[in-house]
Amino acid sequence: MATHEKVDVVIVGAGASGSVYAATLSKAGKKVLLLEQGPDWQLTDLISSDVWGRRIRPAGAPFLLEGKNPYGYAGQAGWGVGGAALHYFANFPRLLENDFKMKTEHGRGLDWPISYTDVAPYYDKVAQEIGVSGDAKAEEIWRPAGQAYPMPPMKTFRNGEIWLKGFKDVGIRMVPAAVGMNSVAFKGRAACIYDGWCHVGCPIGALANPVVTYLADARKAGAEVRPHSTVTRVLTNAAGSKVTGVEYYDEKKEKQVQEANVVILAAWSGQNPRLLLNSATDKHPKGLANASGLVGKYTMAHSGSGTWAIFDEDVENHMGTIGAQFMSYERYGKTAHKDAFGSTFIVGGNALKLSDLAGIANARPDIFGAALPEFIKRVRRGLTRINAFAEGLPNIENRVELASEKDEFGMPLGRIVHSFDQDAAKIWDANFEEGLKIAKAAGAKESWSARGAMATIHLMGGTIMGTGAGNSVTNSYGQTHELPNLYIAGPSIFASAGASNPTYTIFALSQRGSEQLAANWSAVTG
Amino acid sequence: MDDIERRSFVKGALGALAFTVGGAQVMLTPRDAHAQGVPFRTLTPDQVETLEAVGEAIVPTARTAGIANFVDQQLSIPADEALLEARILNVRPPFANFYRAALGAIDRASQTRNGGRKVAQLNDAEKHAFIDAMRQNRLDGWQGPGQGFVYTLLRNDALDVVYGTMEAYAALGVPYMAHIAPTKKW
Repeated sequence: MATHEKVDVVIVGAGASGSVYAATLSKAGKKVLLLEQGPDWQLTDLISSDVWGRRIRPAGAPFLLEGKNPYGYAGQAGWGVGGAALHYFANFPRLLENDFKMKTEHGRGLDWPISYTDVAPYYDKVAQEIGVSGDAKAEEIWRPAGQAYPMPPMKTFRNGEIWLKGFKDVGIRMVPAAVGMNSVAFKGRAACIYDGWCHVGCPIGALANPVVTYLADARKAGAEVRPHSTVTRVLTNAAGSKVTGVEYYDEKKEKQVQEANVVILAAWSGQNPRLLLNSATDKHPKGLANASGLVGKYTMAHSGSGTWAIFDEDVENHMGTIGAQFMSYERYGKTAHKDAFGSTFIVGGNALKLSDLAGIANARPDIFGAALPEFIKRVRRGLTRINAFAEGLPNIENRVELASEKDEFGMPLGRIVHSFDQDAAKIWDANFEEGLKIAKAAGAKESWSARGAMATIHLMGGTIMGTGAGNSVTNSYGQTHELPNLYIAGPSIFASAGASNPTYTIFALSQRGSEQLAANWSAVTG
Repeated sequence: MDDIERRSFVKGALGALAFTVGGAQVMLTPRDAHAQGVPFRTLTPDQVETLEAVGEAIVPTARTAGIANFVDQQLSIPADEALLEARILNVRPPFANFYRAALGAIDRASQTRNGGRKVAQLNDAEKHAFIDAMRQNRLDGWQGPGQGFVYTLLRNDALDVVYGTMEAYAALGVPYMAHIAPTKKW
C-alpha cells in the first residue's frame, strides 16, 4: 500500500458536482485531486452511436436493486470523467419556490434548510459560467425574476412545434426550454448542429458537459484527475473528529492512501451513502456522518409519463437535441393534479433515433416479427413524443444500504431499495391521461401512452441536507454536520426531488457549496 | 467550418469489433463475422442456434446481421468495455450468466410447450406464438430471468445489429448525422 503526497482537497468522482468543486477550489489556489472510478474520456471517444454510447454508462461494482419500483440506474448514471453529465439531456429547469418548503406549506415530505432565493443567484451564475440557452423572461410566469440566459433559445423543429396547439388547448403554457447547450458559439465552444446524439456524448462541446466546462477549468488551474481509482473508504483521525483522506484502489487494483485536508464525496446518490456506511470506525460505528441514522435514507426518484403520437406529416424527428425544445411548469403545483400530490414538469420536442430504449423501434415494444419493420417504416416520418416527469416524495423507507455480498475490493455492495407511493402512482397516471388529451388536441393521427413498468428517473437523496445532525446528514452547503472537513456534493444532498431535471440544481448547489468552502477554508480545516 | 463538413459520413455499420479468425484478431462487423462463419468464443452451438432463432423471429434479418456473433464477441470482453444493451438494463455482470440462463429457459419452455422441440425447430407461426407468450410472461413453467425482460433484452440486441447501423438509417432514408462515425475499435 502506497501513501501519496498530501493534497488540500480530494474529490471522489469527476462528474457534475465534483467538477464544480474542483474548478472553484483549484482556482482558489488549492491543490485538488479528483479520484475517478472510470476512464478519463476525451471528446474523441464520444462516438455517435447508441451502441457505442454504452461505454460511458456505469460499470464497476453493481448495485442490488430492490423494492416495488427498483431504481434503474444503469442507463442514466455515468462511468468516467463527466459522469452522467457526459451524456445527459441537459434540460435545465430549476427547482421552484414550492419545492423548498413542502413540509411547511403542505405537511408533506421535507423542508430544505434554504429557500429558492438562496439558490437562485447560483442558477444565474452557472448559466453565465457554462452557457444556458433559453428565455428566462418567459419562465418568469412561474418563478421570480433573475438574470437573462447568455444565449437565445435553441432552434425548434416540427417534432416539437406540432404539439403546441394541443398544449394550448388543454391550458398548458409552453416556453422555450432552458438547456445546457449552445444555441450559438459560446466561450470557444461550437454551436449545436441538432443531430440528436447528445445522449452518447457531444464531441464538439456544444453540450455543457463537465469535460469541456468545469473540469477543463479545473485542469487549467492545476487540478489532477486520477482515473481508474476506486475509493472504498474515507479515513478519519484517531479522535474521529476530522477526516484525513481516503483509501482507494488504483488501475492495477493496488491499495493506495491519499491524504487530504478536505474530502468531498461527489460520487452519486448511490455511491456516496455506500462510502459513508463503509467508512465506519469505533468512533463512528454506524458510518461517517451518520449519528442521525439517516445516511442512505430518503432516496428519491422521478417518474416519467411519455406520450407517443403519429402525425400525418414529416415532423423531422431526426432533427433536434435529445433534450427538450419546449418546457412547462404549468402542473408544477404540488396539488396541480386532483387527488394526487407532487409536482410535474412537462417537456416537448426531441430528436429520435431508430434503436435503443428511447428510439423509434421501442415506441411500441410489443411489436415484433414481420410487423416491426412495417411499423418502423410507417412511423419514421411522423412519430414524435412528449414527456411529463413527476416528483417522488422523500420516504425514509427508500434507501441505500450495504449488502452482505462484497465487490472485488472487499467493499460491501450497495443495495438500493425504492418504491413509489400512491401519490406518485396517481400523478403518473394523471400525466398519461393528460398526454393523450394533448395529443388529440394537437391533431395526432394515432397516440398512445408509453406505459410499462413505472420508470424511475434521476436518483436523489441519501445524504439529505437539513438544519442539524438530528434531521439530516449535511448542512445546506453539503458540509456534514459531524465532520467539518467532509463535504458531500451532488443530488444526494437534495431534501426533496421536485420534478425538474436535477443537474442544473446540482451545478448550482455545488457552486454554492464550493464557494462557501473556499471562503471558510481556515475554519473548515483548522 | 460548415456544419455538414464538421460531421463525418464515414461508411460504417455497428462498427468493427475484434473477432478471432484462425488465431489472429481481425476487425469485422457482426454481419461480416456471421457471413464468414467466425467461430464463437463463449456461446455453445445450441445457444447460438436459439439466439439466432429468437432474434430473427423478433427482428427480421437479425440472424444475418450477426446477432449471435455480436453477443458472443461482447461476452468475451470485460463487462466494463461491453456495448450490450444488458449494460444499461441493469443486468449484473458477467453478462454471459444472463444469456446462458435466458437461452436455456427459452429452450426448456419451448420443449415443454411444443412436444420436446426447441425454439429453433418451430415453424414461423409457432415461434411467433411462443414469443408473444414470452413477451407477456405467459409461458408456463418458465425457469430463468423474467420472460418479459428476456424478450426486451433480446429484442434490443436484435435491434442493435439490424437498426443500430448507418446502413439501416440509409435504407430507411433517415439521416444518421454522425459527429464521429462508429468505426473505431473499442
